[in-house]
Amino acid sequence: MSASETIRRPSRHRTFDSDRLLTAACVGLPLLGLILFFAYPMLIVFLRSITVDEGYGMGNYVQVLGSSGFWRATRHSLAMGGATTLLSVFLGFIIAQGLYRCAFPGKWLIRAVIVLPLLAPSLVQALGLIFLLGRNGVISRALGVEIEIYGFWGLLIANTLYALPQAVMIIGAALVLLDARTYEAADVMGASPWRQFRDLTLPSARFGILNAGFVCFIITITDFGNAAVIGGDYSVLATEIYSQVVGQRNFNMGAVVGIMLLLPTVIAYAIERQAMKRQQAGQTTGQVAYRPVFAPLRDLGMAGLSLLICAAIVAVIGIVVYASFVTLWPYNMSLSFKHYDITLAGGYSSLWMTILISLGAAVGGTIAVFLLGLGLRRLPQALAQPVQILAAMPAAVPGMVLGLAYILTFNSTATPLYLLYGSAALIGIVNFYHYHTQGFLTVMTGFRQLPPALEEAAGSLGAGLGRTARDVVAPFIAPMLVSVFFFLFMRSMVTLSAVVFLTTPQLSVAAVTIMRLDDAGLTSQAAAFSTCVMAVVCGAVLAMKMILALMQRRRG
Amino acid sequence: MYLTVRDATKLYGTFTALDRVSIGIEKGEFVCLLGPSGCGKTTLLRLIAGLADLDGGKITLEGADLSQMPARKRGFGIVFQSYSLFPNMTVAENIGYGLKIRGVPRSDIAARVAELLDLVKLPQVAENMPGQLSGGQQQRIALARAIAVDPQVLLLDEPLSALDAKVRAELRDQIRQVQRALGIPTLMVTHDQEEALALADKIICMNHGSVVQAGTPEDLYHRPATRFVAQFMGISNLLTPEDVTRLFPDLLPPRPATPKAQLACIRPEQVDITPAADGTAMVRSISFLGNLRRLEVDSPVGPLTVETHGTNPCRTGDPVSLRVAPDACTWVIDDAPAPKAVPA
Repeated sequence: MSASETIRRPSRHRTFDSDRLLTAACVGLPLLGLILFFAYPMLIVFLRSITVDEGYGMGNYVQVLGSSGFWRATRHSLAMGGATTLLSVFLGFIIAQGLYRCAFPGKWLIRAVIVLPLLAPSLVQALGLIFLLGRNGVISRALGVEIEIYGFWGLLIANTLYALPQAVMIIGAALVLLDARTYEAADVMGASPWRQFRDLTLPSARFGILNAGFVCFIITITDFGNAAVIGGDYSVLATEIYSQVVGQRNFNMGAVVGIMLLLPTVIAYAIERQAMKRQQAGQTTGQVAYRPVFAPLRDLGMAGLSLLICAAIVAVIGIVVYASFVTLWPYNMSLSFKHYDITLAGGYSSLWMTILISLGAAVGGTIAVFLLGLGLRRLPQALAQPVQILAAMPAAVPGMVLGLAYILTFNSTATPLYLLYGSAALIGIVNFYHYHTQGFLTVMTGFRQLPPALEEAAGSLGAGLGRTARDVVAPFIAPMLVSVFFFLFMRSMVTLSAVVFLTTPQLSVAAVTIMRLDDAGLTSQAAAFSTCVMAVVCGAVLAMKMILALMQRRRG
Repeated sequence: MYLTVRDATKLYGTFTALDRVSIGIEKGEFVCLLGPSGCGKTTLLRLIAGLADLDGGKITLEGADLSQMPARKRGFGIVFQSYSLFPNMTVAENIGYGLKIRGVPRSDIAARVAELLDLVKLPQVAENMPGQLSGGQQQRIALARAIAVDPQVLLLDEPLSALDAKVRAELRDQIRQVQRALGIPTLMVTHDQEEALALADKIICMNHGSVVQAGTPEDLYHRPATRFVAQFMGISNLLTPEDVTRLFPDLLPPRPATPKAQLACIRPEQVDITPAADGTAMVRSISFLGNLRRLEVDSPVGPLTVETHGTNPCRTGDPVSLRVAPDACTWVIDDAPAPKAVPA
């Protein structure tokens, strides 16, 4: 009798086990959400882009590809993306090198300043530049020169400031991985600091740099806020979609431009994921962290450069806060609170609504990605893999395209989903799925650190899936859950691109209000409103830091 | 038999991790699954725990089929190599967790936890977090956690492998003591033959997903069935019948008549070594190991290992004569060579 005769294949029909049902629900519900609120709307966008009068065809594409406006916007988007990428990766490398490879005091300040642009709606950089370099800007008036800030250069600076935090974080993560012993070995072998930089640091950081480049490129070409405020006549694809949809009510053409914007981001995202994998593959355990020793020439230079870049960030963000208090810019520079009295219809209601929506997106989103991660762990690889790929896809979709997909999907009476249209819930949902990938990947990192033996120990002690999740898994990955919660909250507070299509006169969000205030010429009120948003988000950051520090302490 | 595994089979893709393995554990018995890494011993333990599904065969506890029962309903205790205490719970909460799940009143849990902490000789750490304890302490808490629920079977998955030598010996004795005191049927996976010899009532020696030999520690050490077992259970001199004819002709008569290729297994301490000017062997090197001396000897049929206790007059380079008592030799089946065992 051969072994194969007696071997029974794993039985698929086990007796009823409530844990199997729970696992199915853990994966099934978030998966249903992904399909309904991501895959389906994206399909609709694609279908609308090929919808012509009678059925389907490539007519819209022919029309768009034949228009000079589209090609100009594409050229602009690519040029702007490329220039911003080069500049922000270059500056980001300087700061990361300063933070992780040099010795000078006050790094906490650089770390704090560098994340400021993430805490504000992207159009704040643009507002700040206008207050600094615009016709009535502080610098322009001080120097007595007229600077044309609207257009390429203004947009380049605004986008660079916006992309810089990401570049610093990604390159920094790559630099931190370099083992101190490698450098000690190089020292002993007689390699000069410059050679060490060229032969050790640069090659090891190359995937980090590549990765940062693609992330910056995606951020730039998909950003709407900066382009809307300071782009002027320099039209890019994101503003082109907006003008097609909102200006000309031409949804099908907007869908075509959206698909065209999707192409470069999907390609860049795919390459970025590969670079990320290569970088992770290079990681080894048991590393000895690099401790730089003070080298005056290198460190003073790097500190100076880093401070200069930080000063620029502080100036751009700070001037917005300052301007919000100035009575009548630039004629009456005395301080007052008068701009905090928002005159636009609705006043602060959109701020409260945004906080509410952001809390909803953060709570619901954190629970959804937690359940998904929990369930995926118990699924066979062949089933888990496709779900993981789908869960990581939303990052490749620009907010403008997702927002457009939502308006096309949910503003149609064809399905019961129409009930969601115009509701705060839908804005919360679009925010969550817009940032689904980052939240999902963070939670998955947490799950990877969770030893399977912990769950098995709980299981053999008699705990079912629900109990194990509550008593063992959730406490273990709590820091990740806290990070995801605040990430979703903060992004929802400041995002503009996805929600710009979904707001109605009755229901607006903070970032859209800021844009409307700026459009209406109420720039100082826009600054005041921005300051309020930044205050809320800064409060959230502080709360997160405190909670994480407390957790760290309790774990001992 | 209390716990029975019959024809257990486990496949990973095309790789057969376990091939129709059958074992049994009696009430109160301490059984060790011993074998090199990759031999399937951990897979077998996980199947018994319910942490993996059988691809064939049957597992029964007092006659009741366990195959369809998830781990959490089996009522087994398990201790992992990696301690695996819940980092977010105190020591007391860890130990009491299984009881809490079973709805035991809080005061009863506290009493039981105190009792178990005494049993593992760590009465003062109840309110500590696991991260504040040493590896050995954590593993003792893991043991207490596993036995807190009066498990029907205690499963130990290389519980001592992550600890350093001194702590390992201490905890080994403690595991044995606790197991004897409570009489819990226990199955321990280990790749350390010394550990298995010291702890087990019965050793099940595995290789390539099959059981090679099962028996008492004495059986496996003194009467190994195969070359693999002989080599895995300590040091042995394995000689072909031709070698034996040349070197120790009086050992030949007890050789069984089975046709298989056979080797004579002679443990190093079974060889009498005496300096002799006309000796045909020569001492090549001597290692002093404290309680014994290990001599590498060049004999006419190749190198042999000899161990002597107490003082021995032999020095490196001395010609020596070797003698083995006829009943000190076991004939074993020549299967596959085992990975070199770590000398004690």
